[in-house]
Amino acid sequence: MAAPLVPKLLRAHLSDLASNDARLDDRGQWDGRETKLEIGVLPRAEGSARVTMGNTIVLAGVKFQIMTPYPDRPNQGGLMCSCEVRSIAGRHWENGPPSPQSIELGRVVDRGIRESGCIDVDDLCIIPGEKAWQVILDLHAISDDGNLFDAFALAGIAALRNATIPAERFEIGEDTPLKVSKTPIMCSYHKVGGRFVYDASYREELGGDERIHITLGDDDHVHSLQKGLKGIFTADEFAEIMEHAKSRCSELRDMVNG
Amino acid sequence: MGGYGDVQMIDDDGLRMDGRKPGDVRPITIETGVVPVADGSCRMTWGTNEAIVAVYGPMEAHPRKIQRQDRAVLDVTYNMAPFSTTDRMRPGFNRRSREISKVTADALESVVLLELYPRSKIRISIEIVSAEAGTRCVGLTAASVALADAGIPMTDLVVSVASGKINDVVVCDLNKEEDNYGEADLPMGVLPNSGELVFLQMDGDLSPDEFKQAWDYNMDAAMEVHKLMVDALKGGEN
Repeated sequence: MAAPLVPKLLRAHLSDLASNDARLDDRGQWDGRETKLEIGVLPRAEGSARVTMGNTIVLAGVKFQIMTPYPDRPNQGGLMCSCEVRSIAGRHWENGPPSPQSIELGRVVDRGIRESGCIDVDDLCIIPGEKAWQVILDLHAISDDGNLFDAFALAGIAALRNATIPAERFEIGEDTPLKVSKTPIMCSYHKVGGRFVYDASYREELGGDERIHITLGDDDHVHSLQKGLKGIFTADEFAEIMEHAKSRCSELRDMVNG
Repeated sequence: MGGYGDVQMIDDDGLRMDGRKPGDVRPITIETGVVPVADGSCRMTWGTNEAIVAVYGPMEAHPRKIQRQDRAVLDVTYNMAPFSTTDRMRPGFNRRSREISKVTADALESVVLLELYPRSKIRISIEIVSAEAGTRCVGLTAASVALADAGIPMTDLVVSVASGKINDVVVCDLNKEEDNYGEADLPMGVLPNSGELVFLQMDGDLSPDEFKQAWDYNMDAAMEVHKLMVDALKGGEN
């Protein structure tokens, strides 16, 4: 992504809005955009989801491969989460080798899902030491109007929960649903005009400072945190967004669990 | 082209495995404005193919060495998403996607009025999110709808359709099984208002009569698909 020029006017405008407790699109500080989750939208994927948050749209697809277990973990399969933001998603994204931004995106989403332990890798073993399932979650941005992190995380866990292990195609038994025991959910906060807001749009990201991503699992257990970009925040600010994350994550979790 | 002639793909009534007659195309839906942040966009489903295309521009062409003093340049990328195929597709460019990107650009450059936008770039991103067979045709057709949705001046839309041969019978718009075992494939890009061509490829084995039949099927199918494209552009989903 080419470093976008941020006009001082945009930053000043965002700062003005913040001091009047307003946002570019008339949302409150803690309001998310309208969020829509659709399941089973990709005919070739073994599990899939499309998430629409305002003008941000992402796809998640799950595929399975046979892998040889790692020598030190002969009874375990694997989970891989890969994220691509290609030029379709916005004029500020370019094709080519993955940018640091998109690598950070993929890794933060991966950590939240992996560390929640929602997928039992022991369950993915087929023949110890020889064959195991590798679950591959591919995240693909279609339209980036900000907060790809939350959209990817939501689509990712929804696609996994909807996935079927294609054992018949690989001639090793019957198709079974992938077991997913938990529902980790990510909430992201951007410092815009001097205060944190939830679910920033692209222009808020552009004219904002640091961001904080929180992934909470069932029972509000924390599974991943990430602070990105330049900026300083206080313990009190963090406590406030953590409180909001708890309530918002449980709303979104209900949406995923249907 | 597998050419496994012993796999029976046409029944005694001349119907194909999915119930189509030889000249029929698969069901098609076209929707515009599906990428809200883009200047123009199109989602096209064709059988279980799905292509999403976004158009950005005309915008500044950089690096400067790609600029042309007298016209715009088209920056076309065709990409298959990792989850678009039965076996996962490794992300990134490969020789196939590079070739398809190039011939798609060549086809579109023949209709876009490039000279109206000197020194600028129009970016066309084609993402195949579900692949069955004939993705290059779906990508090119959807790209021309997305360009129109972006308001880029063109002399005509481009409709791309392929015909081929299975069990020695010429059929239009091969599906996945037919493509795997088919004996020939002839994709074409047609300008529906003039009947001229801007894209042509072929591989396999066709006799002169079979070639004529495949050509005619493509021309007829192109006119049919063109109606759907116009409907989609005139107002919402068809």
